[in-house]
Amino acid sequence: MDDIDAMFSDLLGEMDLLTQSLGVEAEPQKPPPSSSKQASFSVGFADVHESLNELEDTDLDALMSGLMAEINATEEKLSSEKKEIKPAPSHLPPAPEGLSSYPVPSQAVPPSPESSFTVSTPIATPSSLSPRPPPHSTKPSMEDIEAQIKADKIKLALEKLKEAKVKKLVVKVLMNDGSSKTLMVDERQTVRDVLDNLFEKTHCDCNVNWTLLESYPELQLERGFEDHENLVEPLSAWTRDSENQVVFQEREDKYEVFKNPQNFYLWKKDKNTLKEIKERDKELLVEENFCGTSVIVPDLEGVLHLREDGKKSWKQRLFLLRASGIYYVPKGKSKTSRDLVCFVQFDNVNVYYGKEFKNKFKAPTDFCFVLKHPQIQKDSQYIKYLCCDDARTMTLWVTGIRIAKYGVTLLENYKTAIKQTAVTSAWTNRVTASSSSSSSPSTPSPTTKAKSSSQANGHATKPSAEPVVKMAASMVPPAPPPPPAEVLPPPPPDPVMPPPPPMATKTSNTGLGNKIRNVPQPPPRADGLPLPPRLHHHPHNDSFEAPPDFLPPPPPAPGFSAQGTGFLPPPPPVCSLPPPPPDPEFDCFLPPPPPDAFPLPPPPPPSSQPFIGGGAPPPPPPPPPAPVPSGPRPTTSVRKKPPAPPKRTTPQTNEAGGGDMMSELMKAMQKKRGNQ
Amino acid sequence: MAAWDLSVVVEELGDDKPISISVTSELHIGGVILKLVEKTQVKRDWSDHALWWDQKQQWLLRTSWTLEKCGVHADARLVFMPQHKPLLLGLPNGTVLKLRASFSGPVFRTVLGICRMLNIRRPEELSLLRPAEEKKKKKDKDSTEEVYDLTEIPLTSVSRPCLYNGMPAHFADSPKTEAVYKMLSTAQAPPAPEAIAKLYRPASVVDKAHIHSRWLDSSRSLMQQGIRENDKLWLRFKYYNFHDLEPKYDVVRLTQLYEQARWAILLEDIDCTEEEMMLFGALQYHINKLSLSEPQGQTSSPAMDDLDSALQCLEVKMDGDSSASDMLDDMTAPELNEYLKIFRPKRLTLKGYKQYWFKFRNCSISYYKSKEESFGEPIQQINLKGCEVAPDVNVAGQKFCIRLLIPAPEGMNEVYLRCENEEQYSKWMAACRLASKGTSLADSSYQSEMQSIRTFLAMQQTNPNGNNTQADESINTHSLVSPRYHKKYKVKQLTPRILEAYQNVAQLSLTDGIIRFLQIWQSLPDFGISFFVVRFKGSRKDEVLGITPNRLIRIDLGVGDVVKTWRYNNMRQWNVNWDIRQVAIEFDGNVNIAFSCVTADCKIVHEFIGGYIFMSTRSREKSDTLNEELFHKLTGGHEAL
Repeated sequence: MDDIDAMFSDLLGEMDLLTQSLGVEAEPQKPPPSSSKQASFSVGFADVHESLNELEDTDLDALMSGLMAEINATEEKLSSEKKEIKPAPSHLPPAPEGLSSYPVPSQAVPPSPESSFTVSTPIATPSSLSPRPPPHSTKPSMEDIEAQIKADKIKLALEKLKEAKVKKLVVKVLMNDGSSKTLMVDERQTVRDVLDNLFEKTHCDCNVNWTLLESYPELQLERGFEDHENLVEPLSAWTRDSENQVVFQEREDKYEVFKNPQNFYLWKKDKNTLKEIKERDKELLVEENFCGTSVIVPDLEGVLHLREDGKKSWKQRLFLLRASGIYYVPKGKSKTSRDLVCFVQFDNVNVYYGKEFKNKFKAPTDFCFVLKHPQIQKDSQYIKYLCCDDARTMTLWVTGIRIAKYGVTLLENYKTAIKQTAVTSAWTNRVTASSSSSSSPSTPSPTTKAKSSSQANGHATKPSAEPVVKMAASMVPPAPPPPPAEVLPPPPPDPVMPPPPPMATKTSNTGLGNKIRNVPQPPPRADGLPLPPRLHHHPHNDSFEAPPDFLPPPPPAPGFSAQGTGFLPPPPPVCSLPPPPPDPEFDCFLPPPPPDAFPLPPPPPPSSQPFIGGGAPPPPPPPPPAPVPSGPRPTTSVRKKPPAPPKRTTPQTNEAGGGDMMSELMKAMQKKRGNQ
Repeated sequence: MAAWDLSVVVEELGDDKPISISVTSELHIGGVILKLVEKTQVKRDWSDHALWWDQKQQWLLRTSWTLEKCGVHADARLVFMPQHKPLLLGLPNGTVLKLRASFSGPVFRTVLGICRMLNIRRPEELSLLRPAEEKKKKKDKDSTEEVYDLTEIPLTSVSRPCLYNGMPAHFADSPKTEAVYKMLSTAQAPPAPEAIAKLYRPASVVDKAHIHSRWLDSSRSLMQQGIRENDKLWLRFKYYNFHDLEPKYDVVRLTQLYEQARWAILLEDIDCTEEEMMLFGALQYHINKLSLSEPQGQTSSPAMDDLDSALQCLEVKMDGDSSASDMLDDMTAPELNEYLKIFRPKRLTLKGYKQYWFKFRNCSISYYKSKEESFGEPIQQINLKGCEVAPDVNVAGQKFCIRLLIPAPEGMNEVYLRCENEEQYSKWMAACRLASKGTSLADSSYQSEMQSIRTFLAMQQTNPNGNNTQADESINTHSLVSPRYHKKYKVKQLTPRILEAYQNVAQLSLTDGIIRFLQIWQSLPDFGISFFVVRFKGSRKDEVLGITPNRLIRIDLGVGDVVKTWRYNNMRQWNVNWDIRQVAIEFDGNVNIAFSCVTADCKIVHEFIGGYIFMSTRSREKSDTLNEELFHKLTGGHEAL
């Protein structure tokens, strides 16, 4: 429970920061985290009945919002496929589109200094969003329906639960500089997805060496997760009181085998010939060994030191690596295949680097690696410790074992990673290049946006929900009404939207927000949630591909994208970004926003929206936001002001619609505080 | 020009009745044939016939060349005979096929023709070799072996492969040929262990090197290499560089490749470890089982796939439509509830097995003191996900135990579950197996898992000495491994080990099973190495040259160690001095090597190297047309040019 408390305080801290800076921050997502935390620790909803009982209304709402986002996203996709345009009737669908497609770009975009400016645009969108909530509130006015909606919600939630049974964890990731970021990871997310999130949130260069590692302080082990692994599963094996950590780091060895395959496949050759090898020959080596019918494992053999079970001595043996496992040559036998004795096969073990085993286990050197079942967390006879003479040998063996264990998946991971970096850089280039051109077409819209934002602000200032609603209606009258009429489910999402503001207020009260870094979390979650859309198992991938296509569209599509953005609370996250400028730490976060700022930017907000997406239907207003981004103005103060008010107002308005969730969250937080 | 008499033997009329025609040196070959046919006065289709010059051992195929240009004089013994003749072809799967092959074209093209008829893509990877000399001690008792006859298929119908009834049209003509196709496209049943033991097994690298001396020369015709009508040759994959394997089109190719790999392993032509052998055994068992159950021996047709996916859709939809409570009900998976005995060897007490009421549910086992208490808290609950499951069974001794190694933060916990009988054992064993992989009892694979466990139990029971011949479902596990393991393990020791390996492959489809087999084969360290005994220039002792798809390996004959490797992509050029039969190769960095060949003709070595370089050119140009000219350029030597 300490962990939970700590996390909670982190979250609160984040919220505080956000609220202080923008006030907008209130993220609908946060509430989910709280609920999800419980879920994550109890995890997995093995027994749905139980978990449902545990859930309170708020939790259900939070769940629903997430689920609805998924639904909307899929619906949108479907509708978009049919033929985009016709936004008016199907506002909801377009919004989702924006979400799904855009999120990627935002991720891909590396942080640029300008980002802070761009942020302003996102803010505008949030403000536009804030007005939306009012429409929702209007819906609630039909109180009769409300009960039914709730029933539907529960039912839907149940269905979703069954389908997804998604386990979520809140993960604290240790950064290189000793700081940490907290992320929400759901069980469908791969390490690749999480890395993308982290790229978005940090100033790192997104190169392929960035790795998530699991580190076992107690056993002095560490292992880089492979990009295709699901993060939640290995983490679930950790014990409750585990000191284990997840670390975000650059690791040369991660894809070294594809950069310098000769060092692995021709390891017997002398170093000079290996250095002189031509690029073409390297490619050929990779092709020969990874692209055939089967993957060829480097033919490693050599004397390694093996730690004797339970003893402190290390014994030398001649080991050989084969695709089927590690073998050793028994005493007095030859190293022909038939005489080899199997030491370990790779189905049930992972390979870890051992750290400072010279001290810990009296190993001959510090170049040790270890094979153990992922679930084993303490020293045991079932852990195999091997020690190499030098670092190169150790890298050879560890990489060789990874090749044997994961095969061609490693190459696929590498290719995806490369593509990712390429996309990221391309995106930034494009953004800068296109910003000017795009700005011209979008200019008209920006003005509108500004208006909208101002309106939003006005709404925000106005405490009463009704006025806000009216404003929203004026802004995008058609949008709000249609969604409710068309689809009941969307309403629930709307409620979600409101919650964010309350959150902000709560956070401000708590005043815990010390950790700025946490702030970024919300956006990542948003991304993660969007993934859920059942249809797209790999939302990220889709999004990546999508970005290019979307880029051109921005001008025509702005309306859609804008809508998407508008719906969602995501805008708030954007707003949160602006605050960062004040704080140096925030800068890291800012990078993600910049993408939004550009004409493309609209997409990013959508990404965050996905969660909220469900409620988004009204979004139509968003179009204006797009232009705003184009005019990324540094004047943070201005931005802040507009966004903040809307948020606050929204919370109030929200209470009418989806207030329960927020209030629940508040209560929970207050309880926590009290405990503290 | 003076006319002179040329006597020609027409094969159909017999050797003793040569036909004499009057020709001039200016007459071209076409004219000779025309005169000849007129003189025989036999009406038939002569289009496949051509003139074979016996003394010179060559065909006179250029009909526009004059006799003078060909160098034919009155003393030439010419034979007029068909270019396509029946040939007995030993396939990788061990069966013998009789078919018409071209005896006049270069072997390379003959193989193209054969493969087209057999529906094997990428024929350049295969070639023909002379069979190993079988010791005739059996007094030809085996000469009665079944020969599949394809000689009746008209050669012209083969040219355009089109599918009919799931097989190339030329196979669909008669039930007989359909049976041939089935033989070609279905894995053969495991051979009897005695049969494996009887076959020739190379005992050393030198033995393996001798096998490669039997390859035919790709640039010369069968007739030129002394192959005559109805002679027997083996068709084998020669170059271990299998381009573009596509299960959809490569049914025969995959099957034959699997057969060749299987025999290479059974005959210890390629070495593997014991663990690998067990896995190969398990895969053979699995493949055999599936080939028997899938009548067509093919992967499910597209129509069936559609049906499957449609059914799945339906399932999902129904799920979606059902009410929330229904869904929750659905989520309660089936359970097992029974009394079993448990034993934890870790506790140092000598208690032995103790009986409890066991409940299996959702990938975990809980046990209670008794059935009556099963509604309360279990004594312990064990989550089986990620655990290792091993059988500990002795059918004769009526011991049915399941050994579980359960991972926990502190290490692995060892637990034994003891079942009363086979039935109970197969239920719980199958459940544990599935649970270790995270699948519940509700999964459809549960039944088949149970079935295969029963089958293995039966195998242990009915084959105490490995003598039972083909008792329906059961297979002697000795027929799945090489003879070395016949000696090392009794059937009852071997079976559980294969069963253990089997659990990792039991879910594979037939095609996937075959592909997995090939993958494991290809990842063996010795895969794809063709050995030749050679003598390097400047060296006094014989050494071994290994030729692989991407490199040459110099191996010490005595110790077996790799001395040096050279990769083709560093190769500048290679030459053959045909006079002193020496191959010289130059690599980047002024590395020159030269060697003469001891166990095989240097043309064969030359062809291997050139062949692999030819194979490596294929991937880049994606076109399906085979660059035959390039192949001959790379492999032909001076004779081809």
